[in-house]
Amino acid sequence: MSDLWTDRLSEYLDGELPDDERTELEMHLRHCVSCGAVLADLKRIVARAQGLEDRGPERDLWPAIAARIGAAPRREVRRWSFSLPQLAAAGIALMALSGGAAWLLHPAAMLPLASRPLAPVSAPQPTGQPLDGLRQGDSQAVLAVARQPRGSAAGYDAAVADLERVLEAGRGRLDTTTVRVIERNLATIDRALAQAQRAVAADSANLYLNSHLAETMRQKLELLRQAAALVSSVS
Amino acid sequence: MTPPGTGATTLQHEPSGRTDPDAVDATLAASGDAHAFERLYRGHLNRVASLVRRMMGDDDADDVIQDVFVRAWQKLGTFRGEAAFGTWLHRLAVNVILGRRETVGIRRKRHVEGDAVLALVPGRRATPEISMDFETAVERLPDGARQVFVLHDVEGYRHEEIARMLGLATGTSKSQLHRARMALRQHLER
Repeated sequence: MSDLWTDRLSEYLDGELPDDERTELEMHLRHCVSCGAVLADLKRIVARAQGLEDRGPERDLWPAIAARIGAAPRREVRRWSFSLPQLAAAGIALMALSGGAAWLLHPAAMLPLASRPLAPVSAPQPTGQPLDGLRQGDSQAVLAVARQPRGSAAGYDAAVADLERVLEAGRGRLDTTTVRVIERNLATIDRALAQAQRAVAADSANLYLNSHLAETMRQKLELLRQAAALVSSVS
Repeated sequence: MTPPGTGATTLQHEPSGRTDPDAVDATLAASGDAHAFERLYRGHLNRVASLVRRMMGDDDADDVIQDVFVRAWQKLGTFRGEAAFGTWLHRLAVNVILGRRETVGIRRKRHVEGDAVLALVPGRRATPEISMDFETAVERLPDGARQVFVLHDVEGYRHEEIARMLGLATGTSKSQLHRARMALRQHLER
């Protein structure tokens, strides 16, 4: 069962035998069934060792560790999730908000609008665009936003980019359902944004389109802020 | 809570260009953020716990696991992000385990040399639950053989590193490994 070479089989298996000994052992293995069987078993042992699965302790050791490092006891983390009806309602509400009601709200002061020069407020409006509810003060506010320098666009883009980075870094802390909701709503807003930008590009003097674009951009910023706040609340 | 270090970690970037979340948490933890450290703890617990259990057995495992993470918290300021956090933590864990080795080893008097190692591992025919049996067999190896086996065959250290860590000659590390393997082979054969 055991011979001169048996005790060298592990070194052979690990590739640690000098060349001359390795050659000699390989010649021995051609006719020694016993050593061949041991070598096969050793290979199985090594493979099994490499395939061992890790498992944690049976009890949670964190409270004791936290006490030893002086950390405050961890508060119960609220995992944000929504029921399906809530998800559906959130999506519908979001799309509704990004629609015709946008002009009822005051646009955020930082939001840029069309790149082309705006026509005066009194410029003819396209038919079917309900501006009845837009007060004169609102019209002026929209124009004020529309005339902001392009630097505001950079500020908006930077804010969006920052929030997206926070969200990306922390998405692993949110449950998958919440992440899906956020992604779906962001996709909805991005589609609305693209439509609004195309519309404004075609008719930059249109107050409704400009305010709609501004509101959609504000909604995207707000959604990202809320998502970033969610990430912070679970970290 | 005393901040454990300077927080001078260099953030790791994955090949994709994204920042390694462990490196971010290590940086936060080094500045005293216990929540970030808890995330690191939960992310690496299973691997550390398994290493401790295999190297030391179940009896003192929980205490040693705690020691590893407390030491990691204290040493976070020395983590520079040059290697993955998991690699850094693993090496630290080995050091903590080896620091406890002598005390525990003396108490248990389980250091056995020579062929006696084979007699300590009860044999059993391979079963569908072979993985757990194998784990148990490893834990029942005498300390010296088990530590070399775990470090080499499970954790992937080289004999030169193991010899340095355990204060052995390289040849002794190789012979301990072969003995451990042969003992486990007997266990699986019967």
